[in-house]
Amino acid sequence: MIDLSRAGTVARPDGEGRAGGGRCDDRVRFTLGLDGEVLRQVRFGADACAATTAAAAWLAARAEGGTLLDAARLGLADVLAGARIEPAAAECALTAVDALHAALGDAVARGARVAPSAGRSLIAMSGGVDSAMVLTEAVAEGREPVGLTLRLWIDPEAPSPDRACCAPSAVRSARDLCHASGVPHLSLDLRADFRRTVVDSFVAGYAAGETPNPCTTCNGAFRFDALDAAATRLGASEWRTGHYAQIVERGGTLLVARGVDPTKDQSYMLGLVDPDLLQRVRFPLGRRLKADVQQRAAELELAAARAPESQEVCFLGGGALAPFLARQGVGMEPGPIVDEDGVELGRHRGARAYTPGQRRGLGVSRGTEALHVLKVDQPRNTLVVGPAGRLGRREVPLRDLRRILPIDTVDACFRLRAPAVPGALVPDRAGAWLVRLERDAFAVAPGQVAVLYSDDAVVAAGVVAG
Amino acid sequence: MIYLDHAATAPPDPRVLEAMLPHLGERFGNPSEPHAAGRMARADLEAAREEIARLVGCETAEVVLTGGGTEADNLAVLGRAQGIPGRLVISALEHPAVRGTAEALAVRGWRVEIAPVLTNGCLDLNALDASVRSGDALVCVLGASNLTGVLQPIAEVAVLCAERGVPLHVDHVQTASGAPIDLSSLPGVVTAAIAAHKLGGPRGVGALVGRGIRSLAPISFGGGQEAGLRPGTENVAGAVALAAALSIRQGPDAVAERATRAALRDQLEERLGLPVAGGVAERLPGHTLLLTGLRGDTVVRLLDERGIAVAAGSACASGETAPDATLTAMGIAAAQARSAVRVTLGPTTTQSDIDAFVTAWSELEPALRAAAEAAA
Repeated sequence: MIDLSRAGTVARPDGEGRAGGGRCDDRVRFTLGLDGEVLRQVRFGADACAATTAAAAWLAARAEGGTLLDAARLGLADVLAGARIEPAAAECALTAVDALHAALGDAVARGARVAPSAGRSLIAMSGGVDSAMVLTEAVAEGREPVGLTLRLWIDPEAPSPDRACCAPSAVRSARDLCHASGVPHLSLDLRADFRRTVVDSFVAGYAAGETPNPCTTCNGAFRFDALDAAATRLGASEWRTGHYAQIVERGGTLLVARGVDPTKDQSYMLGLVDPDLLQRVRFPLGRRLKADVQQRAAELELAAARAPESQEVCFLGGGALAPFLARQGVGMEPGPIVDEDGVELGRHRGARAYTPGQRRGLGVSRGTEALHVLKVDQPRNTLVVGPAGRLGRREVPLRDLRRILPIDTVDACFRLRAPAVPGALVPDRAGAWLVRLERDAFAVAPGQVAVLYSDDAVVAAGVVAG
Repeated sequence: MIYLDHAATAPPDPRVLEAMLPHLGERFGNPSEPHAAGRMARADLEAAREEIARLVGCETAEVVLTGGGTEADNLAVLGRAQGIPGRLVISALEHPAVRGTAEALAVRGWRVEIAPVLTNGCLDLNALDASVRSGDALVCVLGASNLTGVLQPIAEVAVLCAERGVPLHVDHVQTASGAPIDLSSLPGVVTAAIAAHKLGGPRGVGALVGRGIRSLAPISFGGGQEAGLRPGTENVAGAVALAAALSIRQGPDAVAERATRAALRDQLEERLGLPVAGGVAERLPGHTLLLTGLRGDTVVRLLDERGIAVAAGSACASGETAPDATLTAMGIAAAQARSAVRVTLGPTTTQSDIDAFVTAWSELEPALRAAAEAAA
């Protein structure tokens, strides 16, 4: 029987979530009334087919009276069995599960708190193999894990919207993975914040002719803070991610350090993370090799072992930069490509979509020499190109420098997994900082993040100013 | 169970079962054999055929017994669509048995014109008049919509076709359950399909009837039974059952029964106060298509849980609820079409069935509307 007694809306809800509106236009909404961490009242709305309505009604009945984390354990398999829905209608039931989970996530975002537990670990789940391994190991360790996925971006116009790291399919696979181990899963919808803090500044940077580094900005200015706040609210004593990085202690200060696997080291992406957070974060894969993790995941038959590896900027959604920028309203005008003497060698389709060091997509040549973008001259909408040898730089001015330890002798890194170049952090005449390098660093572009290491640990980071 | 889905299939009438049973037992002979058992079966079969012919208004030789309504429709269309591909006109209301056959012919090069429907659920006669031309292979118009129950202007359609010398096929499968069928009054080359299970008979038996039978080409081959149009050892029990069911639904007592059924339907509609698709047109007596404003399939499920069987107006297939073609043709918006619930009464429907439906509806409607509103 479909129990319609919980159809309706909680007045002044503590959490609200919706799902649906796709092909069959089913719509489900949940509203929650909380008493501490107990779901005192759960109400559902369903303008939907019988299977979806049955799933929503069952979930409301099942979730009401339990805790927020109990409800976060409810997944598709429970609904199919509990509400006796045919497997053919799984997609319908999924709409109801998505809506309930959206409401639970919203409750956390609005400040719902769960009583602390010393054994509880929050696991940041992306839906990929690394976080899947972190979860599996936390379960094996006897911890009390809670999976959390941040929903950061959906661009339905992207060529492959599902390739974004936090696409609905990724959220679902992270949730399924947790539920398969009886682990509660929550997702937080931070799309508005993400757009404001990460995407808008990325777009503005490109519009200004810079080459921003959105992943480092995201982790440093946004994502880690959100995860830390969620861990506190969910009563977790620590939280874990699948980053290939380590945390080391230097003179009483905790620092991000390089992961053991040089092909996978992600410390650069964590260069702007607030060191205060490091007391509560764990990177269990920091001492592991990616190949070993993949092999172990395959042995454990983790579904995520087969998931495609995301290497790109998540919100580009499988597409190229120029069309993304165009979708974000950044205009592209054709302009000249010149050499260092100002001789026009060809035309480009919009200087903003190019990055210093870039060689592909230029379509110009000078003799047999390969030409690279040396400079994006945004005010003149001009690309200056030259041979690779002219890309090298020995002095890189920085802005927004944050020094964690007062160490001047550093190894500078200007992009993910680029070779570090030894140098020194020195104040320039205007009172700002610059890195003076012992060797040429190639393809350093304004807007990129400079992460400065000492002995493989991040001691300072800033943004390339010019 | 309160069964209000008579248009899907009618519960077996005990009188039909009683008439049929001996032919599944001691009267088992093959009508093609000359011995006593065969002669008895032949006599039973021909008596049934005669009864069917009398009840629909055609000659005995103009009854071809088939394996059901869909097969009769296939024979009527494919048996006419012979030789060089030409042109067919079918109404936008056709049952898949006709529409699907026409689509198959379109793949083979036939031109299929769809005659539009008016918002009241009736065929647009002016449009049909403009569409049908001399030389067309066939016109297909169903007698009553299986979805809305709206009766179609078959007499006018038959005149229009006869004037142009175009054969007409009428799918009367739904019509026969609640409206008189008299092929003798229709001019021109006419065939009509009927099926026993909509009339309180068993599934798996129907007939193609009418003078148009005489000019059909066979579409299946074998021992030459049924004038060569439906070869295979005859289903005598089925034929007897079809005759018995027709005699109940088309016989003299049917007039009063239809009036009772229509009155119950009218009462139901009035008590519910919901919009009705095709409600302004003349309809089959026990037929109503309610536009509930809720999801049709969800209403069906909730009523089912309360022991009431009705049908959704649109089927949800592979995650997509496609509004029914008939309703779309009537200009009913997709959301409204999706909300359609078909309630069909039969001779066995009682006042207490209607009361139970109204009670169940009044219980579930507010909660379901609350659920729909809370989703907005």
